[in-house]
Amino acid sequence: MKVVLQNLTKIFPSRDKKAGKEVVAVNDFNFEIPDGKLIGLLGPSGCGKSTTLYMISGLQKPTSGKIFFGDDDVTELSTENRGIGLVFQNYALYPHMTVQQNILFPLQNLKGADKLSKEEMQERAYNAAKLVQIEELMDRKPSELSGGQQQRVAIARALVKMPRVLLLDEPLSNLDARLRLQTREEIRRIQKETGITTVFVTHDQEEAMSISDMIVVMKLGVLQQIGKPQDVYDDPANLFVAKFLGTPPINVLEGKIQGGKVYIGQEAVLEVSGAEDQDVVIGIRPEGFELAETGALHCNLVNVEVMGRDVSIVSHHPASQNASIRSIINADHKTSVGGQIVRYDLKPHKVFLFNKETEERIRCEVK
Amino acid sequence: MVDSKQQWKAWLYLAPAIVLLLVFTVWPIINTVRMSLLENYSGLQATAGAQFQFGLGNFLKVVRYRQFTQCLKNTCILCFLTVPISTILALLIAVALNSIKFLQKGLQTIFFLPYVTNSIAIGMVFAAMFNIVGSFYGTENELIVTAGIINNVIEFFGGTHINWINYGSSYAANIFVMVVYIVWNALPFKILVLLGGLQGINKQYYEAAKVDGTPRRRVFTKITVPLLSPMLAYVVITGFIGGFKEYTSIVGIFGETMGPPDAAKRLNTMVGFIYDSLSSNSQGRASAAALILFAIILVVTLINNQVSKKRVHY
Amino acid sequence: MSDTITMKEKNIQQVSAAQKTMQILVKFFTYAFLILMALIVLFPFYWMIISSLKTLAEYRLNVPTFFPQQIMFSNYAEAFTTASLGQLFYNTMIVGVVSTLLSLVITVLSAFAFARLEFKGRDTMFGLLLATMMIPGELFTITNYATVTQLGWMNTYRVLIIPFLVSVFYIYLLRQNFMQIPNELYLAAKVDGTSDLKYLWKVMVPLSLPTLISITILKMMGSWNSYIWPRLVANDEAHRMITNGLRNAFTETSGDVNYPVQMAAVALVSAPLFLVFVFLRKYIMAGVSRSGIKG
Repeated sequence: MKVVLQNLTKIFPSRDKKAGKEVVAVNDFNFEIPDGKLIGLLGPSGCGKSTTLYMISGLQKPTSGKIFFGDDDVTELSTENRGIGLVFQNYALYPHMTVQQNILFPLQNLKGADKLSKEEMQERAYNAAKLVQIEELMDRKPSELSGGQQQRVAIARALVKMPRVLLLDEPLSNLDARLRLQTREEIRRIQKETGITTVFVTHDQEEAMSISDMIVVMKLGVLQQIGKPQDVYDDPANLFVAKFLGTPPINVLEGKIQGGKVYIGQEAVLEVSGAEDQDVVIGIRPEGFELAETGALHCNLVNVEVMGRDVSIVSHHPASQNASIRSIINADHKTSVGGQIVRYDLKPHKVFLFNKETEERIRCEVK
Repeated sequence: MVDSKQQWKAWLYLAPAIVLLLVFTVWPIINTVRMSLLENYSGLQATAGAQFQFGLGNFLKVVRYRQFTQCLKNTCILCFLTVPISTILALLIAVALNSIKFLQKGLQTIFFLPYVTNSIAIGMVFAAMFNIVGSFYGTENELIVTAGIINNVIEFFGGTHINWINYGSSYAANIFVMVVYIVWNALPFKILVLLGGLQGINKQYYEAAKVDGTPRRRVFTKITVPLLSPMLAYVVITGFIGGFKEYTSIVGIFGETMGPPDAAKRLNTMVGFIYDSLSSNSQGRASAAALILFAIILVVTLINNQVSKKRVHY
Repeated sequence: MSDTITMKEKNIQQVSAAQKTMQILVKFFTYAFLILMALIVLFPFYWMIISSLKTLAEYRLNVPTFFPQQIMFSNYAEAFTTASLGQLFYNTMIVGVVSTLLSLVITVLSAFAFARLEFKGRDTMFGLLLATMMIPGELFTITNYATVTQLGWMNTYRVLIIPFLVSVFYIYLLRQNFMQIPNELYLAAKVDGTSDLKYLWKVMVPLSLPTLISITILKMMGSWNSYIWPRLVANDEAHRMITNGLRNAFTETSGDVNYPVQMAAVALVSAPLFLVFVFLRKYIMAGVSRSGIKG
């Protein structure tokens, strides 16, 4: 089932009546989620990603705009008729029911033609439990389960009624680091097996990039960029997206384009064509540096961190917006770093130029 | 770190409480047991120097006493009628209140109002509402002048007026009035506690149920009631304990006669029996009755706890 | 599990319209139910007030009036003298204020000892205290009646105040509150050489003010509403309490009852409680929800 959001907008009236300022949580949102894909809604807190998810679920009504499931306009349809499964951030498992009762609960609500026999219900519940590998825990209460197990029960409960769309609200935020890695693989596997169009919300870019078919980056209610994780990473639309994706984060320096060259300070680091002379902000991915005896970029060395496979070099540059510049160099190079100054060449495809005012990407060819 | 200075300081701070408790709480417990076990113990005779035999006679007498069984019956009837009615009504009101936004605070305040009343004073208002006002009040020859507002309402809807609490009224009518008044009085506390419980339930359970398309009735029976069960148990236990100690609300409606003029004491309760025994200087009998009351309350509480353990989700 | 529920061929517009109607209906019945119940709850108060303002003749009309034809404020004056409410108010205020103050002092000291000081047998003792809450008060009354008779306290203010000064429930309530105040504050005060009493007064009491206010109100309401004990031990004119006095003043068993005056008296007795409620609702509700005890 593909999901289409059309001019979706959500405005919350302000809490403080005197201030009279309303909050635009989601602003004129347009995008299409292809059938059977896993989509990560990504952004810092307060960017409207959860509101978007809740509007897809029907728990919140959009102020304007439309939502389609396939070709059906479901904007006015209430939650229970949308055929969605929703996994809450805190799971919202009914504490007084066993795992089995929790999973059976949605099935027992079915009426009329959809009504199932006891045996069918049991079987569906068992299959759902098996899918998330909790069939051993059916008689436990939620309080007797670990966080990861509760998460699985919540997913099973959402899947058992075979939803058209599965929605997950920060599915990994309540798990510890080790479980998080394991569970995100699990979510990927379950989504692949069921083929249900799945949307999940997260503020963790690594999480989103690692399992999504597509990521949707949001900021203050405004859509920034949609695409495959690698494409968005390699080709960010603006400075915000460039900064938000990637660990360690991108290095941001101030510079200018002059006469077909990109300058950082007085140093011409790259050649550029198709762009006017102007002041720019330059983003360089940590892996975009190459040590070179004759490198154009001079930085003051601070520290070298050995990480085994890679070496991370921390240095200073007066034009840097960050406190320091961090580069990651393959340890195979055995390049010894000595002295006070470290010199780099830059890999053109890891360098992005942004307009200094609008922070939008300057589309040009960098060499 | 228990230093000796803290020791005596602590006892100093506790001294007033301990002295008062020893005199007015601990001694009465011991003394009540003692008096209940002395045959026909009477305070008046005791001061005159009479001796009493040790035995269980007081208990046997109390249990066989017709007045006592009537009191026990009244107390039980009132308890088993008012506790379920008021609990269910309070639950419905609390759930309804919890589901609205507009007027919620105002209505909540109104529903709490009966709590801040004097149960004797408002009992007199209820009595006035149910009373048939006439000449020769309290006698057989009472002439109806006005039938009272409740009867007026009944007549407005085409019924005939009922003698609720006056001379010659029936036991059933008396009990009905008492149930109405006690329920009215019991609602505020129950609504307050249940509404507090409802507001403490995580909203996500309801959102999850909504996503699953759970019908309203099922949300109520499968989610709200189980999650509210600790509060419900609390309200029921305190309701029963209060119910077994019912006394002043009857005084409020019927006065010290504890019944209509022609059937005094007909609505007497356990507590009433204890005070009657006390004023007739039969402390032995009063003590026995008080201990029986205590035992009943204890048993009811234990049963409740037992049921709660199985049914209540904490 | 890859097959998904297919939308039935329902007109979505129709579905949502039906849902809207259903929602409005539910809202309507919810409000109707609540307002009906609220009217039932309020009716006795309304009836008390309008009846108290009617003439006896109007009250006795065959067809009831829902607003007095002639407003009789004089009923209130008559009620005040008939029931000698002045003396009753005075007695009740003395008993209420004195017993509340003393009770607060005892409660604060005991709660402090149980919450902050370490002494042998503290927990056992606290457990025993809590156990006494199970016992119905009537059980104490029998012996206390004998005790106060022997002490020669009958028909005094003392007898109305002293036996009920200690409330295990209040001690429990305040102790729980005191326990939430970090012990470091106490230790810091000790380091600075602050005395216990000063610490209690300057730190503990202000920090647990809401609980103390709740206790004060409940205790005052208790005095106002107490009936059984005062009737037993202080039923003389000089010490009679308000509830008892009210009931005594209107217990005609025959003849014509002057209901308007009676209702005026009831309204006068109820008024202070309502005033307290209007201004201190928050504290009453907070205290009550934890107690389950009336007054």
